[in-house]
Amino acid sequence: MVESTPNALCFGDEFPASGAPCLVHVEDHGLTITFIPDRDGAEPRSESLRFSELTVSAGGLDHDQLVATWVGLKGQRTLYLKSPDVIRAFRQAAPDHLSQPLERAAEQVRQVRQRHRMVWSIVGGALLVVVLGLWFGSDVLVELAVDRIPVEWERKLGESTYHDFLAHQDVMKDGPAVDAVNEMIHRLTGQIPENPYTFEVTVVKSDVVNAFALPGGYIVVFTGLMKKAESGEEVAGVLAHELNHVLQRHGLERIIKQLGFVAVVSIVLGNPPGLGGMMKQLGVELMTLKFGRAQETEADLTGLELLYRAKIDPSGMITFFQRLAEKDEGRVEWLSTHPMSNARAERLKTQLAEMPKQNPEPFTFEWTKVRASQGAPPSTPP
Amino acid sequence: MKSEILYPGAFPMVRVELAEGEHIKAESGAMVACSPTIDIESKMEGGFLGALSRKFLTGEKFFFQTLRASRGAGEVLLAPTVPGEIIVMELDGVNEYMVQKDGFLAGAAGVVIDSQMQSMSRGLLGGEGFFILKMSGKGMLALNSFGAIHKIELKPGQEYIVDNSHLVAWSTTTTYSIEKATSGWVASFTSGEGFVCRFRGPGVVYIQSRNPGSFGAWVRQFIPVSQ
Ligand SMILES: [Zn+2]
Repeated sequence: MVESTPNALCFGDEFPASGAPCLVHVEDHGLTITFIPDRDGAEPRSESLRFSELTVSAGGLDHDQLVATWVGLKGQRTLYLKSPDVIRAFRQAAPDHLSQPLERAAEQVRQVRQRHRMVWSIVGGALLVVVLGLWFGSDVLVELAVDRIPVEWERKLGESTYHDFLAHQDVMKDGPAVDAVNEMIHRLTGQIPENPYTFEVTVVKSDVVNAFALPGGYIVVFTGLMKKAESGEEVAGVLAHELNHVLQRHGLERIIKQLGFVAVVSIVLGNPPGLGGMMKQLGVELMTLKFGRAQETEADLTGLELLYRAKIDPSGMITFFQRLAEKDEGRVEWLSTHPMSNARAERLKTQLAEMPKQNPEPFTFEWTKVRASQGAPPSTPP
Repeated sequence: MKSEILYPGAFPMVRVELAEGEHIKAESGAMVACSPTIDIESKMEGGFLGALSRKFLTGEKFFFQTLRASRGAGEVLLAPTVPGEIIVMELDGVNEYMVQKDGFLAGAAGVVIDSQMQSMSRGLLGGEGFFILKMSGKGMLALNSFGAIHKIELKPGQEYIVDNSHLVAWSTTTTYSIEKATSGWVASFTSGEGFVCRFRGPGVVYIQSRNPGSFGAWVRQFIPVSQ
């Protein structure tokens, strides 16, 4: 009586697509394959194969099956062996010329196993990050997610918002104000090493006191903000601050924080393009993203350094920030997205005091003329 | 144990006859009716952690039910939640199948159900969650689909591309890679990314003729949204 528990599947033209169950025995000279009869009482059919007839590789869903192919009387046949015992017996009995592909196959299986273990540890690690992230206000996760987003994609995100916004604004194409802002941006960006962004700046005619930078490097300055400034250095201070929100990718961090946990996980694990749709669904607006305290401080300090490197007097930044915060004349939009605090100005002052003195290089424009070109009074009353 | 599909087509049921002492595993909620000799036990297949991981990672119900003919022979009637075909196959100990989480309806006692983690990219991009069910062992296995079930037979080396959300089950002798669907594959009202699986034989792939996700999206457009 032949033992009839199959341990392999045989594929070939005359067999069903799911394979014919068969029993494989490993002998000294090769394999004996016994096909299990479909019907009870039918005679089992056996076939003997020499090792020299076989080609061996690893296959199956997890690459952990031994696949042996040979050309029989009825065409090509493929055998899928899964049982570890049979595979081991095969490897022991097979001659040298077969042992090499077999070892490779075994190595592949080992690699797959190892990869699985690695994937598991990554999953475990990710879970740990998730737990830690939740514990520590999810900043770790947010950073991980932000790192996964390519600059190119960030540009696309900012670009569409930028153009949508400008479509409804009174854009200043040229004139002293535009020239002045371009000069400031040029001086500042010239001091950014390995800058992956191409900054684009637009001056918008509006009394709103505001300026913002979108992810990807799109900057908008309102004439209202320029009218409030008493020098080009003050405006440059705001721009240096904004540039650093872009460079530090603060916008992305905020978006991801607002979209929450699911977004973070999906980005960390590899699906950044889904973010745009998610933002639309949840109504996250790039322009009204409010930055956090830590981000403001970071943009302040890096902005201050940038001004310093560009040889633009950094004290303008500090005085302007303080004036914007103190004087309560009209709504200063900029403050609603960049929350100001006394601590911020103090921190900047301390930082500036620690920097070695240098002689700033003035801008080529005259600020009074720039302001006059926008219809502001030639000088501000004290 | 004997099983029979009643009312084949869109609204089928499976009748399983159990001898005294026999039992089967069924998707919880699949039971429609049974003889008074049948006891229902909720059992966590694959242990507590296995069940828990299924629950959280594939959204699969926490328990499979065990239907046991403990007080004499009897029969059970089982049906899936969604309209669609049922197929019954016989596992022979060597044929193994991966089954998408909603595809399992019932299995004989000898059928081993494993929650298997898909490799990271497969699982995430494939949309089946981290885990799918691996069916091995011996005995009757009933799968259900949304719509009709179609069997694709692949010769060694033969390839076939299937929209991921139409997958029901595939034999473990196949290999597959996940690819992003080109726009033609994705229905206009489904948002998000579509993925297709490129299968390579030998083996069989069972697919369903309807896509649950697309159907859901299609239905949603008729549901008035309350403000
Ligand atoms: Zn800021």
